Amino acid sequence: MKNSEKLVLSLSIALALMLGFLPFTYAMHIMEGYLPISYCLGWGAISIPFVVWGFISIRKTLEKDSRSITLLALAGAFVFVISSLKIPSVTGSCSHMTGTGLGALLFGAGAVSVLGLIVLVFQAILLAHGGLTTLGANTFSMAIAGPIFTVIIYGICKKLKVNKLVSVFIATALGDLFTYCVTSLQLALAYPSQVGGVAASLMKFLGVFATTQVPLAIIEGIISVLIIMALETYASKELKAVGYIKEA
Amino acid sequence: MGAGIIIYLRPCLIAMIFIDKLCYTSKIRYVNPIEKFTYALGTIVLAIMSRSILVGGILLIANGFFVVRLGGFSYRRYIQLLKLPLFFLILSTLAILINLAREPLDAFAIAVGKFYLTGSYKGIIDMLKLVMTAMGAISSMFFLSINTPISDLIWVFRKLKIPDALCQLMLLIYRFIFVLLNSAQYIRHAQEARLGYNGYKRSIKSFSSLIAMLFVDAIRKSSELFDAMQARCYDGSINVLTEHNSVNPKRLAIIIGIEIILILSVMTLRIMGKGLF
Repeated sequence: MKNSEKLVLSLSIALALMLGFLPFTYAMHIMEGYLPISYCLGWGAISIPFVVWGFISIRKTLEKDSRSITLLALAGAFVFVISSLKIPSVTGSCSHMTGTGLGALLFGAGAVSVLGLIVLVFQAILLAHGGLTTLGANTFSMAIAGPIFTVIIYGICKKLKVNKLVSVFIATALGDLFTYCVTSLQLALAYPSQVGGVAASLMKFLGVFATTQVPLAIIEGIISVLIIMALETYASKELKAVGYIKEA
Repeated sequence: MGAGIIIYLRPCLIAMIFIDKLCYTSKIRYVNPIEKFTYALGTIVLAIMSRSILVGGILLIANGFFVVRLGGFSYRRYIQLLKLPLFFLILSTLAILINLAREPLDAFAIAVGKFYLTGSYKGIIDMLKLVMTAMGAISSMFFLSINTPISDLIWVFRKLKIPDALCQLMLLIYRFIFVLLNSAQYIRHAQEARLGYNGYKRSIKSFSSLIAMLFVDAIRKSSELFDAMQARCYDGSINVLTEHNSVNPKRLAIIIGIEIILILSVMTLRIMGKGLF
């Protein structure tokens, strides 16, 4: 009873804070200077094997067909651009897609881990959105955990013979949510609450960002489905080129 | 990039479009990027190692001074750049400061039912430290990005032995971010002219078809780009002439020396248990 009470309470407070404060969401990136140095190095070390795996898969594609270098570059730019366009919103707030989930479905999780890393470097240097020292942590949550989760969910849905568009929706929406859970966990580990430690801190971060992230995840899912629908209608040739149709 | 696109983008993107233009006008644009990169990275590490209000504040002021005196930008521009991250920073730091507890802590407490929204003095000081550390680090980052074009930075990454394929991808991605943003702007204008963003449902639909068309456009451009590259003898590596002076070894040595001394002294202070304020 105690815990559930606490949860409801923190959620309602988060809601109040949210409505008062947050006209736009930056919830996903951990800022420069925000993590102690040991955490920067730790998350960096965790990310390295995934990025290397992605890089090897990119190398292989390049060896097979050197033409794919420009395709990969455009994919990276595409992920950056869709994550920088404002989603139409009712309240006039400024929200945006993460784009990495859709990217992972279209181009594969391996490629997205490397492309995501590059995009994060640009965001860090040019936007102070994320940072060089928090690059490892951000890469892990946004370019590795989220996309891989999306692909796994999509795979499970396919196994269960769920309708394809429904699975795209579920996979991208959950991938978005998962990214933000990982970010919250990263923050909670670095900043355990004075009262209640890591668990309380995790709940706090999840609560504070939940009110904006849950609707955002749903919108991200819906938009991803609409995009896939449009692509299948108008661009089946291009989808074949990036390998989406073949595997689907 | 016309002013038109700005309203469709996240606010921070405006900063990026600014910076992309501004860095070419910097007075120290031709200073070797290795020197600027070393300075920025060193000071960021310094800020994080020290975690102090003092060091963060000094960095904020020093970087402001450098951006204005060396780079030739106005203080207004510098403050404008720092404003966006600051807003977010304060918000997310509030989450660290405020606790939910049965017992009130010493600094403040607001009763909510059986619990208190509460924080301690130590928490407030920690929060200030965190904000100043992050702002100090961010100001160093802006010093780097406002004085150094991205192509120069990629040149530094090459020198750091980052695999060539990755550097090529970076270069191409950076170039195509702006190309695709332009395409997005054209499509958006065309949609608006046809009342595509009239009403929420229609907006979502138009937005999705914008992205789908952007995808088609990106694929088409990628194949055209490859043809163009091949016509110019692309053989697996992109070689760009960079415009900057060679490393000034004396200056680089001074930068590295000062930073090592600062970081070491901060570390010894820490080990002695006398963390800086």
